[in-house]
Amino acid sequence: MGAFDPIATYEKGTYIETDTGNKVSRKATITGATNIILGGKSIIQTGSILRGDLRRSTAGQHVVITMGRYCLIGEGAIVRPPGKMYKGSFTFYPLRISDFVQIGPNSIIEAASIGSGVEIGKNCIIGKFVIIKDLAVILPDTVLPEGTVVPSMSVWSGNPGKLVDTLPETYQEAMEAKCKSYYQRFRAT
Amino acid sequence: MSVLYSCSHLDSPHSPLPPTYPSSSSSYHQLDKLYFCEECDAVRCDQCVAVEIASYFCPNCLFDVPSANVRADKNRCARSCFSCPTCESSLSIQASDVPTESGQPGPPYSLICSGCRWSSKEVGWSFEKPTGIALQLQKMNHQTEIVQSEFDSLKEHLESYISLSTPAPSAPSSIRSTRDPSRQISHLTQMAQKALHRDVGGMVAYSARSKGRSTGKEGEKEKYGWDELGVYEAKGSWRAGGESVLDGVDILRDLEDSGAGGMAEVGKRWGKSWDNSKMTKDVLPQRIPLQTKLTKRCPHPNCRHLLIQPDTKSIRMKIKMVAANYLPLVEIGRRRRRIPSNDMNEASEQPTTEELERRRRERRRTRGGIPIKEEDESMGLPLKRGETYLFQLALTNPLYDPIQIRLTQPHAAKDVNTWCNVSIPTQHFTINALKDAWAYDEEEEEGNDDFLIGGSEAGFSEEGTTTTGGGSGMGTLGKKSRLSILGGQGTKKGRDRETGVEKRSNTSKVILLVEVLPDNNTGDRVRFDLEVRYTYKSDEMATPTEPGEGSGNGEKRGKKEEYKNFTFWIRIDLGVVE
Repeated sequence: MGAFDPIATYEKGTYIETDTGNKVSRKATITGATNIILGGKSIIQTGSILRGDLRRSTAGQHVVITMGRYCLIGEGAIVRPPGKMYKGSFTFYPLRISDFVQIGPNSIIEAASIGSGVEIGKNCIIGKFVIIKDLAVILPDTVLPEGTVVPSMSVWSGNPGKLVDTLPETYQEAMEAKCKSYYQRFRAT
Repeated sequence: MSVLYSCSHLDSPHSPLPPTYPSSSSSYHQLDKLYFCEECDAVRCDQCVAVEIASYFCPNCLFDVPSANVRADKNRCARSCFSCPTCESSLSIQASDVPTESGQPGPPYSLICSGCRWSSKEVGWSFEKPTGIALQLQKMNHQTEIVQSEFDSLKEHLESYISLSTPAPSAPSSIRSTRDPSRQISHLTQMAQKALHRDVGGMVAYSARSKGRSTGKEGEKEKYGWDELGVYEAKGSWRAGGESVLDGVDILRDLEDSGAGGMAEVGKRWGKSWDNSKMTKDVLPQRIPLQTKLTKRCPHPNCRHLLIQPDTKSIRMKIKMVAANYLPLVEIGRRRRRIPSNDMNEASEQPTTEELERRRRERRRTRGGIPIKEEDESMGLPLKRGETYLFQLALTNPLYDPIQIRLTQPHAAKDVNTWCNVSIPTQHFTINALKDAWAYDEEEEEGNDDFLIGGSEAGFSEEGTTTTGGGSGMGTLGKKSRLSILGGQGTKKGRDRETGVEKRSNTSKVILLVEVLPDNNTGDRVRFDLEVRYTYKSDEMATPTEPGEGSGNGEKRGKKEEYKNFTFWIRIDLGVVE
């Protein structure tokens, strides 16, 4: 799998590597870092924005964004938790991202949950409270309206996004291998 | 740029037609979409597998619909899932803005599209409860009722005919006779005869008629009368809906207001052909169609083994027999263009086949000594006519045992006119076994630096000389030493890649020499087929079927160590000619 994939390099020192193997760009905007949990071996690329400060208004510790292992937040992607009016006041809800999730460059994510093995293409807009189940592909330039549910093994495309195809049974292994291989290839010069 | 695998469908494995035949494309599929039947020892594709529906579910609420309810629900979600009439995204339920006593939003509820802000208030739909919208709608919506009652009465009408035409007295033969298609045909011809008042030809009818003639006219009439289908009178007529002149005027007036967008697209009217209105504002939300999970079986009539069995509860598969777990993955990449030396430039403009052959031989001879200039190129660039390109073919072993590969060109390819001449300098090589994930990671860490350089030519010179062994004889070495060999192999093999095989973990890369023929047209896709045969060790004691071609290659060579061959064909698409 991916025997000829080119190596993605970055200039040494532009990324911070954590103990658990996360690679976070120094030029990524991460607010409210204490409210963000990264599972390890995830990559957050240059120019992306993670809004951990948009937390529930009540007192106490609240996790805003959780992310699993081998995830990729592409360049310029924006990840922020969804929010809505509830019982007369505006509150944010946590955003949960599982393992092996790739989010393409310049996409905007406001989903409620993203299952494992999900690939979101570039320039996508994932609306508030969207639920993406395990193993799904959102093709580039797709717009998913608020509250859309994306079932497992489906391919979505268009504006507004529609179910256009189903995935082959081998997709899970392919996606996991792809995410791992990308992590291996993403290294300092 | 693609590598496709052939599926011989239900035939015994054979080399498919060459790529110059467009009809051969139906035999080729991506590896990740192919299945593998272990019993038949054959590749199966989506076109030939037998498909059964394992379960139904709604893609919006993800409810697993019991298959008993699916028909009654008309294959659509019977809960609260509706799709927007304008943009087809799913509708959500919204409480009214009217404040209730408790201060909380309450009834009436309406459906609203979060994509285009369409609201069900536009068609006058509002609901008492936020749950079971489809049920509530069924109660208040008369549209479907009319259709349903019409359908029921039509069914009733036809049922009376069916019960009449099944002769009750002759009990034992009745079941057989109703299933007999010729009987139906005879009815048809008989009815046609009556309608036309003349004889209508027909095998069964003929004999029936001649028999009838002999018995006399009265008997004939009686016999024909009993299964006559009465005239059905519709409850509502399509004419009654009224394409009257006034309606037409109204439609035109509406269209004037709304413009062309006021007319609903055919695709949106498709589901409700009963209605006359063609206007967008009259399109109603539809319940969301159900999706299915499929069980796939081997299509062979004597096999019928399960290839795919999904778990209704989760994304896991109970049975998953996919070709990716059996056949080596073939990838093509690392395109390099030969830059011909001067004397080669002078060669005749239109070289004959012998000339090309001679040139190729020459090149092969000179490879060892004089370095031929090569230039790395992007894979996406169009190919140039008459140029020679080098590609790397990477094969990845999915098995836990090392395998031996033999690459050949299917003989058919040589006979027909193709787009290119292909030569494979290394036809026989081995690929190492797939290892556990932990062994991989370790290896990756050790061999990382070596691997890194694989991309750039310059790095090889400064790389260390840690290599100890060749490509074979791995099995006798311990795990540790094997790892170290593999770690170093990238460099060693990398340097004399021209002649050998470049190995890394369970992937081997070989060179492919492709000469694009000068008489190609612009825009032609350069394609060629390869036959890949691999030999693997089988633990199985008994072999029910001979693998691959079944030509006796899979003979037992001992009690435990049994080697088997499997042959498959791939089609490589190199891109367009400039």
